[in-house]
Amino acid sequence: MSNLKKIVLAEDNSTLALLLKFRLEKEGYQLLIAEDGKKAIELIEEHKPDIILSDIMMPFISGLEVISHVRNKLKLQMPIIVFSAAGQEEMVLKAFNLGANDFMGKPFSPNELVIRVRRLLT
Amino acid sequence: MTNIQNILTYFNQLPILLQIVWIGVLGLFVSILFFLFYLYYLRNYLRAEEVISKNLFTEYEASLINYLYSGDGISKITSEQQEIIDKMKTCIQDKFKRTIFISVLSKLKNDISGEMATAINTLYLKTGLIKYSLNNLESKKWDKIALGIKELTQFEVVNVYNEISKYKNHDKQEVRNQVQLYYVSLFHFNGLEFLDNLKSPISEWNQIQLLEILQKFDDQEITDISPWLKSENDSVVLFALKLAKIYNQFQVIEILLNLLNHKNKQIRVCVIEILGYFQVKEVKQILKINFGNRSEEEKVAFFKIFEDIVDEEDEAFIIENTSNPNFKIRFLAFKLLKKLNIEAINLLKVNASGINNEQIFKFLEII
Repeated sequence: MSNLKKIVLAEDNSTLALLLKFRLEKEGYQLLIAEDGKKAIELIEEHKPDIILSDIMMPFISGLEVISHVRNKLKLQMPIIVFSAAGQEEMVLKAFNLGANDFMGKPFSPNELVIRVRRLLT
Repeated sequence: MTNIQNILTYFNQLPILLQIVWIGVLGLFVSILFFLFYLYYLRNYLRAEEVISKNLFTEYEASLINYLYSGDGISKITSEQQEIIDKMKTCIQDKFKRTIFISVLSKLKNDISGEMATAINTLYLKTGLIKYSLNNLESKKWDKIALGIKELTQFEVVNVYNEISKYKNHDKQEVRNQVQLYYVSLFHFNGLEFLDNLKSPISEWNQIQLLEILQKFDDQEITDISPWLKSENDSVVLFALKLAKIYNQFQVIEILLNLLNHKNKQIRVCVIEILGYFQVKEVKQILKINFGNRSEEEKVAFFKIFEDIVDEEDEAFIIENTSNPNFKIRFLAFKLLKKLNIEAINLLKVNASGINNEQIFKFLEII
């Protein structure tokens, strides 16, 4: 059994997902990547991660639906950080209402994300 | 052989019209066959290209991530990074590969900031991609010029200002839009200097984009917008009005009051709304003088802003407009009157004649 803390990263930008995977794995986390909301929900149900990082706009199932599923259906309380593009302020408010813990507006610094993840996991 | 001879003999005996029909049928059949084979080939070609493109995308993604994590954190290029740069320099000589590589860079550049974003800009310069973007500027096709400017903006190449400025009054709006985005993205509020001599209109969509870019910057100290409010280019005036409202430019109120008599109705309406937003009471005196001569849109805009600046002196003017033929103005007048003097509205209710205000009274009782 690995003791590494698990992170589910739901992000449809494959390059960004890869970049964050490298960065967070270097910090000692285990990364599980989902390219859409549907896959993210599958990974969350299967692995029960310690933290979820999710983009808001994703194919099939949006980040908001992922948060709602985690909080209302799975009744899980792990921290959730959402990523949003400029002009999605309303979406961010909805994400907080649904139970997100933090948000980062795109473009964001991967180093800043690492700090926020670390803070939420301690 | 005999079969073919028989067919030919039969064909030669046919009337000329039928011969033409048969030739046509044969021609069509051959064309259909040709197009079927061509479509089959095209489908296979596109599928193969898609697979190659996907593989190259994945390869370049990995190279880019390696490049970004091979840095020593002190802005110098490491040997590993140099290797990747050299490899990419060779790859991008091929147009197809170059397009894919740029799309990989753009995709990541849109979503990240900080040191890594700077490292991507460096990679763009070091691989020589800038040369291809600058070549695009020389193209005769407007879409290539726009693409070149877009790339130079995205990878923050500030030292090509003069080259890009050549296109600020280009015939195609798409090119002009890209030039304007370049100015503002890289030179922030100073980049708005292009408004000084702009002859062509700024599209509504580009105005929104420019404002969105400006709001992202930490430094929100705006330059003097007065010259743009006096511009002969109406779209520049409208854009400056948006700036005045967003950045609370109280120092231009005098100019705004003068613009109440601008020749463009859209500008006049916009100015009324902004003066209302700033709660400038002088606007009442100016608009009341020639209220009757103003357009319906201006009258409605005026009554909408009235709520915040209304006082007892305005009662007579409001009562006068409770019989205005425009329903919106009449409604707003009654609404204001309710706020100002409920007794007056009750009196008008009793005396109401001619115009049916039942709906307004009913609604005003609810709100």
